[in-house]
Amino acid sequence: MKLKRKYKSMFTGILIFLVYLWAMNGTNSSPISFVKGIPFMIDFLSRLFPPDFSITGSLLSKIVETLQMALLGATFGALLAFPLSFLAARNITKNKFIYQTTRGLFDLLRGIHEMVWALLFVSMVGLGPFPGVLALTAHVTGALGKYFSESIETVNPNIIRAIKSTGANKIQVILRGIFPEVKPLFFNYYLYYFEHNFRAATILGLVGAGGIGMELTTSIRLFRYHELLTILILMVLTVMIIDRTSAYIRKKTTHDIPID
Amino acid sequence: MIQITKLNHKYRNKKERALKEIDLSIKKGENIVLLGQSGSGKSTLIKCINKLIKPSSGSILINNEDILKLNSKEIKKVRKRIAVIFQEFNLLEKETVLNNVLNGRLGHIGTINTFLGRFDKKHKEIATTNLEKVGLLNLRNEKVCNLSGGQKQRVAIARALAQEPEIILADEPVSNLDPKLMQEIISLLYNLCKEKEITLISSLHFIDLVKKNSSRVIGIKEGEIVFDGTAESITEWEMVKIYGKSD
Repeated sequence: MKLKRKYKSMFTGILIFLVYLWAMNGTNSSPISFVKGIPFMIDFLSRLFPPDFSITGSLLSKIVETLQMALLGATFGALLAFPLSFLAARNITKNKFIYQTTRGLFDLLRGIHEMVWALLFVSMVGLGPFPGVLALTAHVTGALGKYFSESIETVNPNIIRAIKSTGANKIQVILRGIFPEVKPLFFNYYLYYFEHNFRAATILGLVGAGGIGMELTTSIRLFRYHELLTILILMVLTVMIIDRTSAYIRKKTTHDIPID
Repeated sequence: MIQITKLNHKYRNKKERALKEIDLSIKKGENIVLLGQSGSGKSTLIKCINKLIKPSSGSILINNEDILKLNSKEIKKVRKRIAVIFQEFNLLEKETVLNNVLNGRLGHIGTINTFLGRFDKKHKEIATTNLEKVGLLNLRNEKVCNLSGGQKQRVAIARALAQEPEIILADEPVSNLDPKLMQEIISLLYNLCKEKEITLISSLHFIDLVKKNSSRVIGIKEGEIVFDGTAESITEWEMVKIYGKSD
């Protein structure tokens, strides 16, 4: 019995090892290549220093543009997702066709990466931050739509029943019964997607969809590594500021239910 | 005022009917207590009276109007006149006490006003008057999650009264409270209903609460009415009929 168990764990171990070996082989990931690449990495990193802060002023305007893209993408996405999410919530929409169609729309919007949306919108409306905003809006609508509708589905049915029993109509039940329950969650998701959008917006520039990403790509292409480091530092700092600010807003807006 | 005839209800996933041939006549201003074990059909009957559950067959006449024949728009008008108090309070925990009580006015204000969160002075006055009646006016701006169980049930009573109902349905309103609070809340509810001549139909588990306060007791066992009489007339034998023999 013990021997059988021993062989079983040995077999599982070998199987796991083979799966990883297969994945590494498929992606040309080998520790030897990594070790061989270390001197080049050190060389590359050394070329990044010192950062060139003389261009900070012009970069700040691009950071602001990226923030604007993130803000608009998150807000437009949330505004579109909000009404649609009720159609995609099983406890609100009894019509299966509407429910499934809305869910399908969210899957489509969310399933396509922002970068791909950006490529499509750049072809449609040209270069610049605007296709970036559209790309972010499309993705955020799908993502927030899914999270909003799932939050609506978790609302206690007894609350809905209580509001319904006052003679309220369906819209009143949504506004006064469901929305107050999901409001903090919605707001948290919105803030999260604002943060997410900033990070996403930085890479949209790679396909010409505006923001700091365009500067990043230019610096890499023109081997301006000191500028590249400055851009990376500014990006990390901005992400940190957004993170701290949204954590502060969340703390102020989320009501803590006391634990007895 | 309420005339229930041959009311039957069967839940989809259950073999047995939850309500069997219920016949019941209730006068305006009566204080009715439904007594019975858990699962006897008390809650089902209460939910049928304002059509939160659509019964399988039978009729429920409220002021000579068969509510089971009404469409969804008409039933909302009826629900305006029937308030419900739930065992689990069913309040919005993150909202203020006043906002919860104002929800009792939803049947009286339009959708646009609801969207704008606008309640006229009249509605606010009704809400505050009822909060005063349940002794919670000083806590009107407090979030519900910060209240005790007894206070929450008072808020639920204020919300029900804010509807200015003709009927209050109270589904085990004190089951989540400690014995001292039970008596306090039941007395408060009974007195307020008496003062406004509101017909009260409540379901309770405890005979002691019933004897002290109610005017009429309906004993329900396995979906059937097995007792209908005054609280004083309940004997040990009737208790056995309602609850079955204790081991």
